[in-house]
This record gives sequence, structure tokens and C-alpha cells, in this order.
Amino acid sequence: MSSIRILTAELAARSDKSLRSLFDARPDLISPPVPDFAALAARACARVSVARALDALNKPQLQVLEVLHLTTNEDLGQSARAGSLKPLIAGSTLAVIEVILKELHARGLLYRDPAGSGGYLAVSSLKDVIGLHPAGLGRSYPELVRTQPLVGARLLQTVQALHRFGAGVGSASTALEAALAMQSWVNAPGLLDQLLASAPETTAAMLARFSTGAMGAVENAQRAVRPEAADATPVDWLLARGLLIPLDNEHVELPSDVAIVLRGRVMIRDFTATPPAAELQRTRASLRTNAALGAIAELLRLETELLTQIRDTPLATLRAGGVGVREIRRLADALRVDTELTTQLLELAALSSLLVLDVDTSRWQPSTTGWQQLPREQQWLWLATSWLAADRAPFLASQSAARSSGAVGGAGPINALAAEAHRPDAPVLRKQTLFVMAELSAEDAGGPDTAPVLGEAAILARFQWRRPRLARRLRRLLPGFLRESELLGLTGSGSLTKVGHAVAAGTPEKAVGMLRAALPQPLTHVLLQADLTAVAPGYLSPELTAELNLLAEAEGQGPATIYRFSPASIRRALDSGQDAVRILDFLGRHSATDIPQPLRYLVEDTAARHGRLRVGPAVSFVQSEDDAMLRELTQLPALKHLGLVPLAPTVLISRVGARESAAALRAVGMSPALTEADGGVVKVPKTGPSVVRASGPVPSSTGGEDPAEAEIAAQLSALRSKPSWAPAGTETAPQLGLEILRQAIRLKKSVNISIVDSNGNHDQQVLVPLSVTGGRVRVYDPDREIERVVSIHRVMDVELADETDEKRAT
Amino acid sequence: MTDGPLIVQSDKTILLEVDHPQATEARHAIAAFAELERAPEHMHSYRLTPLGLWNARAAGLDAEQVLDTLLKYSRFPVPHALLIDVAETMSRYGRLRLEKDPVHGLVLRTDDFPVLEEVIRAKKIEPLLGPRIDPMTVVVHASARGALKQLLLKIGWPAEDLAGYVDGTPHPVALLEEDWKLRPYQQLAVENFWAGGSGVVVLPCGAGKTLVGAAAMAVSGTTTLILVTNTVSARQWKEELLKRTSLTEAEIGEYSGAVKEVRPVTIATYQVLTMRRGGLYPHLELLDANNWGLIIYDEVHLLPAPIFRMTADLQARRRLGLTATLVREDGREGEVFSLIGPKRYDAPWKDIEAQGYIAPADCVEVRVDLPRDERMAYAMADDGDKYRLCATSETKTAVVERLVKTHQGEQLLVIGQYIDQLDEIAERLGAPVIKGETSVKERQRLFGEFRNGTIHTLVVSKVANFSIDLPEASVAIQVSGSFGSRQEEAQRLGRLLRPKADGRSARFYTLVARDTLDQDFAAKRQRFLAEQGYAYRILDAKDIATTG
Repeated sequence: MSSIRILTAELAARSDKSLRSLFDARPDLISPPVPDFAALAARACARVSVARALDALNKPQLQVLEVLHLTTNEDLGQSARAGSLKPLIAGSTLAVIEVILKELHARGLLYRDPAGSGGYLAVSSLKDVIGLHPAGLGRSYPELVRTQPLVGARLLQTVQALHRFGAGVGSASTALEAALAMQSWVNAPGLLDQLLASAPETTAAMLARFSTGAMGAVENAQRAVRPEAADATPVDWLLARGLLIPLDNEHVELPSDVAIVLRGRVMIRDFTATPPAAELQRTRASLRTNAALGAIAELLRLETELLTQIRDTPLATLRAGGVGVREIRRLADALRVDTELTTQLLELAALSSLLVLDVDTSRWQPSTTGWQQLPREQQWLWLATSWLAADRAPFLASQSAARSSGAVGGAGPINALAAEAHRPDAPVLRKQTLFVMAELSAEDAGGPDTAPVLGEAAILARFQWRRPRLARRLRRLLPGFLRESELLGLTGSGSLTKVGHAVAAGTPEKAVGMLRAALPQPLTHVLLQADLTAVAPGYLSPELTAELNLLAEAEGQGPATIYRFSPASIRRALDSGQDAVRILDFLGRHSATDIPQPLRYLVEDTAARHGRLRVGPAVSFVQSEDDAMLRELTQLPALKHLGLVPLAPTVLISRVGARESAAALRAVGMSPALTEADGGVVKVPKTGPSVVRASGPVPSSTGGEDPAEAEIAAQLSALRSKPSWAPAGTETAPQLGLEILRQAIRLKKSVNISIVDSNGNHDQQVLVPLSVTGGRVRVYDPDREIERVVSIHRVMDVELADETDEKRAT
Repeated sequence: MTDGPLIVQSDKTILLEVDHPQATEARHAIAAFAELERAPEHMHSYRLTPLGLWNARAAGLDAEQVLDTLLKYSRFPVPHALLIDVAETMSRYGRLRLEKDPVHGLVLRTDDFPVLEEVIRAKKIEPLLGPRIDPMTVVVHASARGALKQLLLKIGWPAEDLAGYVDGTPHPVALLEEDWKLRPYQQLAVENFWAGGSGVVVLPCGAGKTLVGAAAMAVSGTTTLILVTNTVSARQWKEELLKRTSLTEAEIGEYSGAVKEVRPVTIATYQVLTMRRGGLYPHLELLDANNWGLIIYDEVHLLPAPIFRMTADLQARRRLGLTATLVREDGREGEVFSLIGPKRYDAPWKDIEAQGYIAPADCVEVRVDLPRDERMAYAMADDGDKYRLCATSETKTAVVERLVKTHQGEQLLVIGQYIDQLDEIAERLGAPVIKGETSVKERQRLFGEFRNGTIHTLVVSKVANFSIDLPEASVAIQVSGSFGSRQEEAQRLGRLLRPKADGRSARFYTLVARDTLDQDFAAKRQRFLAEQGYAYRILDAKDIATTG
């Protein structure tokens, strides 16, 4: 019977509580909602979903599942129970395995043997997902011979040679006999140990390399070898004894029969039901807090400055995508930090939608999110939640990431903000990493003054236990995660902070309260000094910062900013429309002390020299001897859009072109004469860069991962309202069909298949399916004796051929 | 996080809020490892440098103490990267030690095997080393002690020199503390120096560096070689030593261009030592002439490069450097550190001023308007002539006259760069002028007369910049300077900083032509002075008659 059908029945029989825990563990099952239990079961058996479920398993769970997968056979009705698995897993107990099997069953990865043996079977698509070598084991001798005819021929030769050599192997005349002979030979008690004792020196070390995988690369693997050769290399020696099987001329496989004996007649040797304890270094709790709060204040300061810089000059993108090194360097110089940090700040700003790409100009510009006006703790929350939910790995865009991967891939660095740093699994990995970090911190038994340092190695080691299948992907991203969490103050001095704990627990809002207390209020005064500087002793309110940036050049890097006044900077302020009185008044208001005399001199002297000549924009002019009439024109509401300003007696200037001005004047009853001196077109100067509205909404704090309670409740009631089995469901049918096809392939049976051709005609045929990949099925047509490929979406219905016969018979 | 007086910046500067109640406490705590960079009125800024941190290590401070100080006094969280950097840098000092081995002589020893491996593989260091005695120790050629220290510093592994010093020929010297006493900070400076072996004492001009030298000689009780910048300064050292110590005329020798005497205490000029004839330094043997037990370097920040090379060979002798500032215009602070020694004592100007040992100075910038014809000449001049034109404006002479009149009866110096201008001013004021061509004898006479009050006004050129003690000068008028060098400014101010008998404050005028290059340079000087914490005012030339 199909596993989907069995699972459907099992799911329908479950309690609401059990279903809820299933949805918690596998949220993708009900997103989008499913119509009925059959669809739910079909989705639970789909490859993608099973792969996700495996990603969420810890090491012992995965190991039990692997062993169960190796020891069961759906078609032969061989199921497994805790008692049958325990002997194959060293270090396990019945109780532990029992619990794990229940967990796997609760997650819908196993179902009860319908024959009533009480054992478990794995869902059929597990085979496609679990990998080529579950538990690092290869195929058995018989299986190798069955699937690879050439291997069989060679094994026969080897066994015959061994038999002649007198090694104690039974004689064989067919490949299958040879395989069975090998199987019983290597399983003979103590034989392998005896054999290895006489093997060349490094043989044991070489076999040890097969502890995690069954395949190896060997040059000239199909070389001629003789068991009696004296000066054999370890590979020669193993090949000659049939302990390594050459698959082709480059690869060898260690048969599972040999591997299991080598592992002490178990499949799993490193089973630990509890996570291995981590050895952590310690840091001072005060250092941790110091580092984290320092990092947060610095991050917010730099992000603000970054946005200001980009507002003035939007960032150009390269044709190949992303922002080029030259732009990054320019930004880094302006921010007075290195390019590495600049890249990170930029990435963080972009993934928080503080920067958006303006598609018209293909430049990055600040968005109108209002982020800059938020209180600082809210700014932090915004950045932190965006980072948690971001499907990018910003670290990949930095130089050091390129360096660390340089040895392997040799690919150049990814440009900042380029699409290549996209990693859809980043949110899950981030969440899990934080979880692991919180877990490690909680286990640490240091005093209140110390804090555990969570090193890369410790986190990876724990992750390997907690999420073995995700660990590989994490390895490359972890250095970046750690640097980013340091940047966001989730960790300080390598240790998870209180803020970090709040985020790891999925409640970043809690951190906001802590930060509000820790981040000082913005200052509204500076210290003016005689060396023509103003020192802002701390975080300055944004308005004051903007004004000071106009009046002086910012210097230095850190919590305080030094602003240096110079004739050039004062001139810049004067250019922007300030005058000496206003500048001195502003400084006087915001200075904690008197304005030093040299500064007063500087402002007044510069202002005295400024503006002896004045230049301004005017697009057209209006001239008349009648000054009174001109004054009247400036007052007319209908002419407001002309922006008429008296420049001198008898002359007004207008900010629109001559023709337009003339038209407007005519409209109010005047009759101006139009003088166009050169007849050229007058251009209207471009106004300042516009800001672009952010496309996305404010980031949500949960990252959109977990289903809300309401959704689960709705889903449950929908499921309960329908009959449990409705095979016509759109989702179920193809899954069922595929399952039957795969079963037929495994059993080498033919199927009765109904195919729609391109004209929409149904056609019923009996075919032998050979393989299913990439949405197509390769079939053998016994009538015409040819192989064909059929697209799955053309298959309307499929049944095992003999099942149909049975039905016909009844 | 406290509400402390410090703000630690990620660019490795430390800001100190002067008006904070804990400011003095914090200042003393960080002075040991951070260099004061700027000291304007409200916010002083200090810088953390590897040299400064190693100086602190040499003084016995460890990284933990430095971090604690920073965390304790900082108002905001201290950048974590900076803390790590400090700890890392400080741990580099002293991993290598130069020691005396009873069997093998000079050896380089370490507790950290990889560090030794790293340095003995450095290309330049290899030839300086002898055979390896054991994994942690390698023999050093005795002559390479200085060169090795220099190179080790360059590759970032400064060695601690524990190899000791030769005793030198004994020659007792005693201080004659009759009508004066060694000031507490001078006493402390000598003690720190002697405990450390060799090194540099940093004291502001006018704080009595000569006495620190004399006291060091008294502690050492050996023959001493004193290296000074020029002949005038040599004579002053001699006079001071005669007055303050038991040394007699016959025991002190001068080794200069004019006289070549080698006596138990010999004062030599840098110039004569670095004189070359046919590619050789004929007077170099002086350094080995008398088995000196102590070598004193005056004005270390001016030590010429050849002296560094010679000093490299003198590592077995005790060395005392005296200076007002460790900042060198040529950036060779590292060589001072490795060859003469770490900083052993440092007192900020303001601290000593506050204790009343040096007079507070009042700096006034007087802005003069160029007359129309000079203004036009300036506008049309070549770039090379522009500064001279504006600096020597005739209007300045008139302002000098008015200022001199205002300060009638006070001891007054007019300082300038251009001889013509100085001659003219001297003529108008009826005052003598000291310039390059004035003989040493004549200079001595004029300085003497100025000191005892026979003449009130002295016009001096650049030659007066260094090491001439004019304790009674209370007013200086600078009419032109050499392109705004920090060095020069410190020296000129130093002239005025000797404590005055009646506690008057010193006045320092700078005449600046408005809207010219002169003003640009003045802006640099102004920044320097304000950063040093001097009160700085700007006056218009027109207002002179009414103020003062």
C-alpha cells in the first residue's frame, strides 16, 4: 500500500495536539494551507518537505533514521523496531531509540507498518533525500553486483583468484555467487582482523578515512592486482582481496559489509543522545557589556553618517551588479573607516531597506523610511530584525571572505550589494546559530562576573550535533554571522549579551528596553575651544549634527566627534545662506561655554570677506520703468509660481522661462514684450536628488518563519471538516503517481499508465519505468522495444500493472 | 559604564574633559601610557601609540591595568577593538630580553619560542646574532646591542634591555643645595631615570632640565659626557654646573669648534661630533675617550641622525635624554626609544605651571593691515617672495615701537627671521641685535647684560631659538617666524616661561599681516598654542595703544 495513503490515515487519526506539534516542527506543511489530510500527507512525503524535515533533525535522530532506512524495505514489508536498531548503534539504549522513533514518527517521517508488526517504515521519498551513503555506508556486495554489471564481472574474477590463492573464500561461478561468497567471508568472526594484521602498514589508516563516506578517489582503480603480490600498496592489497570495489577507473567503494565489520559490527559508532559538552574560554562580563554597547552606539552612528553621505552622492552600481570598489573606497574615506566595515554597513543598510535601488538611475539612494528620526533603540531594533530576516549573507561581499575562500574556489570577491550574496537559508541558519549560542551560554557554569566566549569551533561542533545536515552550509557563513552579531551588539567580546539572549529567544523587543536605559540621551551642546574646534562629548542630536557638519569638518572616530572650523568651512556655511550673526547665535546657543575669541574672529573675518560679489539663479527677468506696478506684480497670487523677486528698482527676476513668464503675465492682463537675446533654450536647473520610497514594509520581527496560532487553528478546523481520503486532490495525485512509479522502478515491475499527448488525447499503455528525474520519467515500451521519455505532467494516472490485473480478476 | 571624564575614541585618541571633577585623577592615570597631543581649554586629547604603550610597559605597567584605567574613567563604552589592540601591543614588549650571561656575554633571551624563531630569521637581524645557546637564547655580538634594539623595534618586538651598564670612571659630583632645592618633580625624574637605567626625561622649557642632568650626575658619581645643541648652550651648562654642583672650572671641559678640552665632565656640541672630514668623523673618539659613566643628551628631539648611529655603539653606557617634547619633526621617535631609552618621566606643561614653577604665558596675535602699496606689491609678487613681503611689512615696525612703549621697563625680546627687518627694528628701538654673525663672546656679553638688567630690549634672530636661558625676559614680540613650525613656537615660548621673580605673567606677541600668507601660518601657530593650552587672544593693531 502506498505510504501516502497510510500516512493520510495516520494523520487523520492524530489528536489536535499532535497535529499542532507536527505543524510546529514542519511549518511548510500548512503554508499555504492544505485542503485535506490526503494533501497534507502528500506534502509531508514530498521531497522538498522531507529534506526540510531532515534539516531540522539532530544528530542522534538522523543517525537512527539512517539506520532505519538501511534496515527496512517497504516493498518486502521489512519494518524496524527499537530492538532491531539498538544492536546496530553503539552506545544507544532501547529507551533512547524508542523516544527518537516516536519523535520521528510525530514528525511524519515514519509510519507504522500496516501489516501490524509494530515496526516503523520510513516515507518512501526519504530514499531520494537522505543521500547516497546514509551513515557513511556504501552498498552491500549483492547490491553492488546487481546495480553494476561490470563490477560483478570483476568481483567474480577477484573471488576466483582469492579462492585459488587459498584465502578461504568459497568458489563462485556467477557474479551473485561471488558477492554472497564475499559477504559470508568478511563476516566470518575475526577474519578481517587477522587479514589486516598482515596488511601493509598504512592500510588501517587508509580504511579509517572511510568512516564518514563510502567512496574514494583512486587513480587507475581498475589496475590488475594479485592477492599473492608481496610489495603491494594498501590500495593494491585491498583491491586484490575484494575489500575495495572499483566502480570505474577513478573511484572505489567500500562495501557496507566490510565497513560494518570494521566498525565493530555496528552501523553507528559515535552515537551520543546528549550534545557533547563544549570547552569555552571566559571573558569578563563587564568587557562583554562594554564591547556590545560600544558596538551598538558605533553602528548607529556610522549608519546615520553613511545615509547622509549617500544622500549627498547616491551610489552608482556596476554593470555586472553590485557596487564597485571605487565607490566603496570613496565612502570609506568619507566615513573614516576601512572598506571592509564600509561594505558591511552598506549591506546592512540595504537589507534593512534604508537604502533602495532607484531603477531609473540604477543608483542606491536612502529611502524615506523615517529610520533616522526614530529613537536610537528603535533604530537598533529595526536593523536587528531586518538582519535576522534577511536572505543575504553580507559577509560574503567582504574582502576577507574572498580571501578565506580563495584557497578553495579562487573566485574573486563578490561586489557589495550584488545579487550573488543571496542565501535563502540564511534566516534559518542565523536563528539556529543564535539558538545554539544561547544554549551553550546557558550550559556555562561561570560566575556572574565572567561570560563564556563562543568561539567558531565550539558553535560549529554543537551545530554539528544539533543540525548535522545544516552544519556544512553554516561553515562558510558562520564567520560572517559572528562578525555581524558583534556589530549589532548581540555578542560582545565573543560572548552572547543580554540583548543577544533576547534576540535568540525570538523577542528582540525586550532588548529595546535594555538599550533605552543604556544609550545616553542625545546632547544639545558642544564645547567650543580656542583652537577652533567644537567637541561633542557624546551622541549629538541629529539636527545639531547636521548644522555642525555645515559649519565645520568632522574629525576623529568614536563616541565623541570633533568639529574643526576653518575659513573654508565657514565659507561653506555662508554660501548656504547663513550669515555671521546667525552662525554666532547658533554657536552661542549650543555652546556650554562662551564663544572663544579666535572663533568669533574667524567667523566675522570670513563673513566680512564673503559675498562682495553675489551670484544667483534667474531664468528670466521682467523689466519696467513703472516700479510701483512691478511691486504689485510680486504680490499677485496668480503669479506666485513665477517666483518674482525684485532684484533692483525696475527689475524683477523670475524662476521660470521667459515665454512662460510672459504667458502668465498675459493671463493677468498685462501685455509684456518678449525679448529673447540669444533665442536659445533656457534650462531649468535640476533640483536636489529626490528620495525614493522604500518598497518593503517595516521588517517584521519574526522573519516570517513560524505560522501564527490563528493560521494553525484555521488549518486544523479545515482539515477536520473534510473526509480524510480524497485522492482527487490536486496535490495528492502527482505525489501518489510518483510514488507508484518509484515503487515500480524498485521492483522492476511494469505499470499501467495513462498519458495525454500534445493534442489532448488519452492513451493507455503498459510500460516499464526505468528512472524518474527532473520532472520526467524514462520508460521502456515492451511492445515496441524502445525507450522513451515522458513528461510527468502528461501522466494522468498510473497503476502497477499486476494490481490492475488483480482488480480485473476480481 | 561610569560618568567619567574620558571619552575613548576608536581612532585611538582619548579625550579628557578638563572641568570634570575626576579629571586630575584620570589625567594622572592615563599619562603613563598615552601621549598628550593637544591641550586646549576644555578637552585635552591623548593618543595611544605603540611607543607610548611600550613606554608604559617599561615603567612596569601591564595591559590589565591600562584596560582597567580606560574602563574605569570612560564615559561611554570603550571600543572593543582598541582594548584588544592595547593588550596585544603591550604583550609584545619584553618577550625578548637582552641580558648579560656570565659565560656567553650579551644574549637575547625569550620565554616565547616562536618569537625568537621569527626574529632570528629576519634578514637584517641575522648578521647581528651569534650562535644559539639553547632554544630560548641566542648570543648577540656586543657591538650590535644598539642596532639590534633598533631593528627589533622596527619589526614590532621591542626588547627589554637588562644587560646593565659599564661602571665608568668614578668621579664624585655633589649638588650644592644652599639657597635652592631640587624641586619634587626633578627629584622624581632623576629617581625614575636611575631606576630604569637609561631613558628620556620630558620636561617643559623652563622647568629646570639642566638641574635634572646635574642631579643625575650626582647620583652616578662618574665621568660624564654632555651633548648639547650649540656653543652658547654649552657655556650655559657649564655656568649652571659650576653654580649648582661641587664641580670646579678645572673639572669641566668644553669640546666645541673653538676649544677641544677633555676633562672628567665634558660638554660637547652635536655639531663638532657630526663634523665630517674626508668621509670620517674625526672627533668621534671623544665618545670613548674617558670611559664615561653617563652620557647626557640635551634637547633629544633635535638629535641629528649621525648621533643616533654613534649612540647605537654606546649601549653599554648609561644614557639620559632631556627634552621638552618627544615629538620630532622627522618622526624618528622610535630611534629615541630604542637607542636612548624609554620615557622615564613626563610632566605636562600645565601641571608644572599650576605648581608655580613656570610662568603662565599670555599669547596675543596682533593683526596689522598692510598699507595699500604693500598690499599691491604683495598681490603681484612671486610665490617665493610673498611670505617675506608680508612678514617684513613696515607697519609691523611701528607696532613693535608701540608695544615696546607699552611695556616700558620690562625685559623684552624681539624675535624675527629676516635680518634686514631686525636691523631696522633694532635701529628704531636703539637696541642691540644678536644674529648669526654675532660672535659668541659678544652674544655672551649681551645676554649677560640683558640678564642683569643693564639693557631692557634685545633683538634676536633664529640663533636665540635654542637653549639660551634668559630668565628675566617677560615679553616677546615675534615679528616673523619660519613658516609656522611647531618646534620653533615651543622654543620661543620657552624663552619666556622661566619663572619671574615677581610672579608676572609672560606676554607673547605675534605680529601678523592680515589677509596674507602670514595669517595662514599664524593660524597654524595659533592652533598649536591653543592646543598646548595657552590663552590666545587676537588684537587689532589699532587697539594696541589702549590695551596692554
